[in-house]
Amino acid sequence: MKVALAQFSARLGDVKANAAFHLDILDRAKRAKADLVVFPELSLTGYTLRDLAEEVALDPYSDPVFRRIVARCRGLSAVVGFMEERPAERGIFYNSAAFISGGRILHVHRKVFLPTNGMFDEARFYAAGRDFRPFDAPFGRAGLLICRDFLHYGANYALYAGGAEVIICASAAPGRGVAGGRAFETSRMWELMGEAMSYFSTAYVIYANRVGVEDGVTFAGGSFIYAPGGELLARAAYVEPELLVRRLDLSAVREARRKWVFKRDERPEAVLRSLERIVRAPED
Amino acid sequence: MPPKINPDFVEKILVRFIHDELAKCGCLKAVLGLSGGLDSAVCASLAARALGPPNVLGLVMPYGTSCPQDVRDAEKLARSLGIRSEVVDIAPQVDAYFSRLPAASRVRRGNKMARERMSVLYDRSALERAFVIGTSNKTELLIGYGTIYGDMACAINPMGDLYKTQIRDLAAHLRIPAAIRRKTPTAGLWPGQTDEGEIGLIYDELDEILHGLVDLKKSRKEIIGAGHKPARVDRVLRLVRGSEFKRRMPPIAKLSARSVGHDFLYPYDWGR
Repeated sequence: MKVALAQFSARLGDVKANAAFHLDILDRAKRAKADLVVFPELSLTGYTLRDLAEEVALDPYSDPVFRRIVARCRGLSAVVGFMEERPAERGIFYNSAAFISGGRILHVHRKVFLPTNGMFDEARFYAAGRDFRPFDAPFGRAGLLICRDFLHYGANYALYAGGAEVIICASAAPGRGVAGGRAFETSRMWELMGEAMSYFSTAYVIYANRVGVEDGVTFAGGSFIYAPGGELLARAAYVEPELLVRRLDLSAVREARRKWVFKRDERPEAVLRSLERIVRAPED
Repeated sequence: MPPKINPDFVEKILVRFIHDELAKCGCLKAVLGLSGGLDSAVCASLAARALGPPNVLGLVMPYGTSCPQDVRDAEKLARSLGIRSEVVDIAPQVDAYFSRLPAASRVRRGNKMARERMSVLYDRSALERAFVIGTSNKTELLIGYGTIYGDMACAINPMGDLYKTQIRDLAAHLRIPAAIRRKTPTAGLWPGQTDEGEIGLIYDELDEILHGLVDLKKSRKEIIGAGHKPARVDRVLRLVRGSEFKRRMPPIAKLSARSVGHDFLYPYDWGR
């Protein structure tokens, strides 16, 4: 399978311009014979939305602009980030990512962990998702995460326990810390998680981060693919835009799960019992 | 001390910041004040790299002939960077105002000069269809060592998250001439004025205290425990607390359900 990571910037609040850019990238990815294109978090709207969120929110099943992107996803799959508002939940906005394949939406993930501290303000404007659901993609079982979700290992665990062989994270991670090498210091945090999760989930980890500047904040880039077993398969440039295309071999999941029997020996029911006890315990 | 920066990476980020923020506005031209000092030299150098030297205009704005060496250094820097430069003497407009106010203090005069320079920059910004690039650093912003609506006014500020001591490292990396790098920092508000003399601390210590208080969120007690004199730490704390008004838009009296500054919250880069 060939994967393309669309490490680009977005035009803040301009869905039409961003949609045109998505169509262009999808065409480029098709020419490169990619099977899957992963766009970053909120790729259709830009990240720092604040009050703009409700103006750019859309229903992916009926919005004509989104439908054009869905229609273009024939012969390849794509993960697209957008601000979601569904007819059944008017006035509620989710930071979402859709998995599109064969001209239809196979799955929508709503970001569960909304960073709301320091420079982040998401929960002030968006509602939180409530679930991590693996789903069947054309290439195998997959799971979606959005940015901060990925840094909560329980989120990765839920996808892994649900059988995901490919964990896909769409991200808009800003860079912080300039005392290091040729990357923001925070890039290491994401790579560390990618390495650990791919190792212990014996799954592929595909992480697409954006670049560009919004309101003075620089997004760090450095998108990556880790193969099962913690092997760095590819990493895009830090800070600079790039369309990174790499072939990955899904039989590596079988190989890793044969060699390391973490998945075979996993006991989600034991974890669930422990979690239930913790969740139900009255606060001290 | 604040951490040592990787100047090569910081240059890359700041050049991209200047370029991208101006490109969003569809205008890749900048104007900035050139004092002959370190910060404006670094800023001009970054802007020249981001936009191309011909798209950067450095305005040298002395008060009469008070600091001829600074004017020469600024012009020389502009020539070496290949940016356009012009000298605008602000003495006539400042003197015209104070001719009826002979008792005005030097602080009032200094602030007036800073605001005259701002008004010249913004006027030229309109004429040239160029954006004003600010040169305030993190040290100055945190202690409020700047004139509100004067040198602090700008469209974008590339260096506001770098301490003075970090800018020195960036300046060396950018090959800013030693004559500028070795200068005693001064706001140039009156003859003989120096930053460190007026603030009462040298930048090395000031940055160390600020970095502890702000970046590491250490307490007063911990900073003093690290070897800083209580009077100095208290002075820095007083300066930081007393200057928040310079770092914020003024509060708007809230009356309606949706008010500017309170709950009308759009990104700065809205639609760009």
